[in-house]
Amino acid sequence: MPREIYAYRCRRCGELHYPYRMVCKGCRENDHNEFDAEPLPRAGTLVTYTDLYALPAVFEVQKLSLGIVELSNGLRITGQLRIAEPRAGMKVRGEVEVVRNEMYDEYHGMVFYES
Amino acid sequence: MRDVYVAGIGITSFTRLEFPLSEIAAYPVMMAIKDSSLGDIDHLYVANMGGGRVNHQTGLASAVVDTLSLTPSGAELIENGPASGGSAVKQGFMAVASGLCDIVAVTGAERMREVNNLEATDLVATLTHPIAEYIYGVTLPSLAGMFTRLYMDKYGVTERHLAMVAVKNQKHALSNEFAHIQQEITVEGILDSPEAMTNNPYVADPLRFFDCCPVSDGGAAVILTTRDVAESTGRPLVKLAGVGQASDTHCVHEREDPTDLLAVRRAATAAMEMAGISPSDVDVAELHDAFTILEIVESEEAGFFPKGEGHLALERGDTTLGGKLPINVSGGLKGRGHPVGATGVAQVYEIVHQLRGEAEGRQVDGARSGFTCNFGGFGNNVVCMALLRE
Repeated sequence: MPREIYAYRCRRCGELHYPYRMVCKGCRENDHNEFDAEPLPRAGTLVTYTDLYALPAVFEVQKLSLGIVELSNGLRITGQLRIAEPRAGMKVRGEVEVVRNEMYDEYHGMVFYES
Repeated sequence: MRDVYVAGIGITSFTRLEFPLSEIAAYPVMMAIKDSSLGDIDHLYVANMGGGRVNHQTGLASAVVDTLSLTPSGAELIENGPASGGSAVKQGFMAVASGLCDIVAVTGAERMREVNNLEATDLVATLTHPIAEYIYGVTLPSLAGMFTRLYMDKYGVTERHLAMVAVKNQKHALSNEFAHIQQEITVEGILDSPEAMTNNPYVADPLRFFDCCPVSDGGAAVILTTRDVAESTGRPLVKLAGVGQASDTHCVHEREDPTDLLAVRRAATAAMEMAGISPSDVDVAELHDAFTILEIVESEEAGFFPKGEGHLALERGDTTLGGKLPINVSGGLKGRGHPVGATGVAQVYEIVHQLRGEAEGRQVDGARSGFTCNFGGFGNNVVCMALLRE
């Protein structure tokens, strides 16, 4: 089954959240499990980005390209970029891939490519 | 609520300190006690972020209260990321204002240079959201880099403006014997010259090496008390007149407008309202320039300059010593250094020092009201204070 990253929709008022929070930001009336998980859409627009050179020890690369993307459902997400020349406003497409490798653990997250 | 006064201040050099964290926290309290002649401390607040993680010392306040022989007075550790210092001062304020305590000591300390740079960076990165930010390799410089890019695109701030903040604050720091960075730099040297790429490489573009504050060890302390007790010391009366705090979303990508620092705006407004002043009344300010862009944006969000025009005020020289509203005459985080737990307390130290008229070499003439902004996380928890000379 292909991996997804999920947004959380409040069952009482319908407000959508990414990432998860226990109390709905919209109505503040729900119970912590009164959410429905919805996979995040993959299409979005690049809002901002940076190339990080001072990397955490676990990344064995020279630089890491990070960005914030606004997805087609209005939610924003932080992710890694595999884009040669990023530009604000660029159309991008997300894939769920391994974003971090720590000893015996692999962490999956959203990686964005130019659309 | 009673009025609260800052009766004593103390600070260590911000540098690499080969002393246990508890001693780095204790030493400025000893200095503040000497400064105020008030030794009967009812309660001790200790601000620190990394003690448990990089210094292997949890329950730090218990260690500090004992090494100072302040037992059996109560003591607590306050951890609020980079706003630990501000939060601890706020707790001390509340203890005296409420009537629960008469004389309170607040100290902030950090010993980040006990570990290497990678571990120090990782310590600070643990502030980020574990699943939505941290796993991607997001560090605070990367959040600042993304924020800076947006600000440059929207308001026309350039790398030159960022360099000007670094040059200004390192120049200011030369007049501060306790400051970490004692190095005069020029915009040409860090930006224009052929050596600039080597001297000033990119850290998280568009932020470069000189746009980021250093990793420092150090401690700062204040003694807070009632008006009567403060008067009895015979030292100039400086009132901690206003405190304000606000939070914002944990993930930076969830901010309503990613070019706003709403928590700064709200905390600053609350602090100044409590003190009964407006931004135009402020004579001297200590803002949280962990990254040069933050000084510019905080100066706008605090109400000193219109939104998007902070860099113009910087160009005019308004925020340099001698200008209309000197900012970070201590050197700020960039020049003075940033032992995370100490910074919020060090900012109050500087403002008190200025309002007393004792800041020889960097005195803002006639300073009667001051302001501090202690910026936690990446703007998701901010504590601001307003101080007045009576």
